[in-house]
Amino acid sequence: MSEQTSDLTKGLSRREKLDRYLSLLGPMVMIAALLIFMALLEPARYFRVSNFDIILKDAALYMPMAMAMTLVITTRGIDLSIGSVAALTAIIMGYMVKSYGFPWWAGVSIAISLGALCGLINGLIITRLRVPDLIGTVAMDLVYRGLALVLAKGVVLSRFPEEIVAIGRGAIPGFLPVPVVIGLSTLVLGYFIYTRTRLGRYAIAIGSNPEAAELTGVPVNRYKVYVYVLMGAMAGLAGVMLAGKLNAIQATSAPFFNLHVIAAVVVGGTSLFGGRGSIIGSLAGVLLLAMMLNALVTLRIEFFWQSVASGVVIISSVAFYTWMQQKDRDGQGSFKEALMSPENRRLGKFLLFLTLIIGSLFLLGWMFAGETTAVR
Amino acid sequence: MSPDLPPLIQMRGITKRFGGVTALEDVDLELNAGEVLAIVGDNGAGKSTLIKILTGVLRPTEGTIALSGQPLVMNSHSDAIEHGIDAVYQTLALADHLTPAANMFLGSELTKKFLGLEILDNRRMREEAERTLQERLGVTLRSMEVSTDSLSGGQRQAIAIARAVYHSGLKVLVMDEPTAALGPRETARTLKLIEAVREQGLGVIVISHSLDDVFAISDRIQIMRRGRRADVVNTRDSDTTSVLGIMVGAPAGQAQTDGASAHE
Ligand SMILES: Nc1ncnc2c1ncn2[C@@H]1O[C@H](COP(=O)(O)OP(=O)(O)O)[C@@H](O)[C@H]1O
Ligand SMILES: [Mg+2]
Repeated sequence: MSEQTSDLTKGLSRREKLDRYLSLLGPMVMIAALLIFMALLEPARYFRVSNFDIILKDAALYMPMAMAMTLVITTRGIDLSIGSVAALTAIIMGYMVKSYGFPWWAGVSIAISLGALCGLINGLIITRLRVPDLIGTVAMDLVYRGLALVLAKGVVLSRFPEEIVAIGRGAIPGFLPVPVVIGLSTLVLGYFIYTRTRLGRYAIAIGSNPEAAELTGVPVNRYKVYVYVLMGAMAGLAGVMLAGKLNAIQATSAPFFNLHVIAAVVVGGTSLFGGRGSIIGSLAGVLLLAMMLNALVTLRIEFFWQSVASGVVIISSVAFYTWMQQKDRDGQGSFKEALMSPENRRLGKFLLFLTLIIGSLFLLGWMFAGETTAVR
Repeated sequence: MSPDLPPLIQMRGITKRFGGVTALEDVDLELNAGEVLAIVGDNGAGKSTLIKILTGVLRPTEGTIALSGQPLVMNSHSDAIEHGIDAVYQTLALADHLTPAANMFLGSELTKKFLGLEILDNRRMREEAERTLQERLGVTLRSMEVSTDSLSGGQRQAIAIARAVYHSGLKVLVMDEPTAALGPRETARTLKLIEAVREQGLGVIVISHSLDDVFAISDRIQIMRRGRRADVVNTRDSDTTSVLGIMVGAPAGQAQTDGASAHE
């Protein structure tokens, strides 16, 4: 959807034109809000060139996965194994180059290919064994993570060849960092796939109406597998980038990849209900996510809040886009009326009841409390 | 209908059994080029089964099909499409998030070469879709860049029909309940589309529950009853009352009071 924009938007209603840019507008507004927030709270430490360099490199790490996840989610699928795939492939790469003396390019290619293989296995489990994507990829997440732990035990593999480090954090003088160039290239590739290839077209068709896709002769299962293969390969690439960025990798690396990537993609307007996705939105989503995570660090908020923040971003953006998609919103009456419906009153009472129970349990516990032992 | 020219489609002695259930028994069907044949009958009369056999989705237990006098054996729906027989499904098989052009070419995209790669030719698909809708079905959309779910029922129908008629070899178009989910305005538009397809010399088979639609559009009416062909009438020489009568197997006069849908 590019050429001759004026001609292509002719005849569209204002709402449809807005919808087109919503996936970009949403994250942009949130980025602006975040910038204002940080300008008020921590301008000196947040608005530094070195800090934006950090943000860009963090974002770059997520770009390849966000690109592929956009396609996966467009097909109504999900992949919750990418963090483990990244860790596993990076560890295998680490052993190959460090213990067996493989050249860096062989190690990198092996990591990406193994990632693709993991994706292929995921795809086959979903399409051939008919295990739902959510369960199938969560289970495979355990498998891949387990294999990584078996291989690496507690070992941290570090000090990689300089080429691999360059992939993760290298700088091109007078230009963007190497990982940012790699990340942006994968997004350009993703945009091309999405708009100009059968893979992208069929991903939309499958997510939009799987029966229709089947009836019109789209090889639905084969293309679903292709999408997961792409996802796996990009997770493998992210594993390489992470290993290079930290110049170290271990079996427990990348614990929040799934959560972060899905948050970035849905905040960028890709619908978890399938058929609707935006690569450019995902780019904006990745930038927003990296800025948000960085802001948490800048504000010296504990690392574990990252997980809370990503979860909240996922819920609020899915809820927001679902609300935007609702066609007959004006038929609902006033907000207050909707809030005070009998159904909601009942749930409200239930919430109150539960709160009282928990409150009195704490009270009881406090009344009968004895000696304390320090929590370590 | 000149007597020495074989009909476009001739189905003879079609019987279809599903295990113990006999869905069709010894059914004949003739369809000529440039005519609309309506198939009517109660629920379970065998209408859908009959056209599934014609479109290669099901194989008959017994009986033969001839296309312009040539015997025709089909093993799949794509065999039927290859021979110029296609169907528009009741659900239309449209992906709502895609553009009309993307839907029209879904599964058979137009491509071009780019750096040695085969990529989608979106511009040509858009132009071809626009042209097919305009020239063959008389439909102009307000924009070709909308998603298909924002279109009206009649326009969606047009896209599904355009997908079938775009293929140059199409001779027979089958539609199962095309107006079932539509309001009066959209129904009128869909009937116009069927008219347009007929005028291009294609044979059209329409299954419908609405006798109003059937009388508005068809040239002949084939009436099915309990898996058999009860009768075929010329639309011009018949009326709703007598068709209803044949449909429910009652003497002509009582049909109106009996009602068609109450039977069985
Ligand atoms: N796949 C099938 N298996 C078993 N019975 C079937 C099947 N398809 C249709 N039938 C039976 O064949 C009969 C005719 O069905 P159908 O062709 O759908 O009728 P209509 O379209 O006129 O309502 C019905 O009794 C139906 O139950
Ligand atoms: Mg039927």
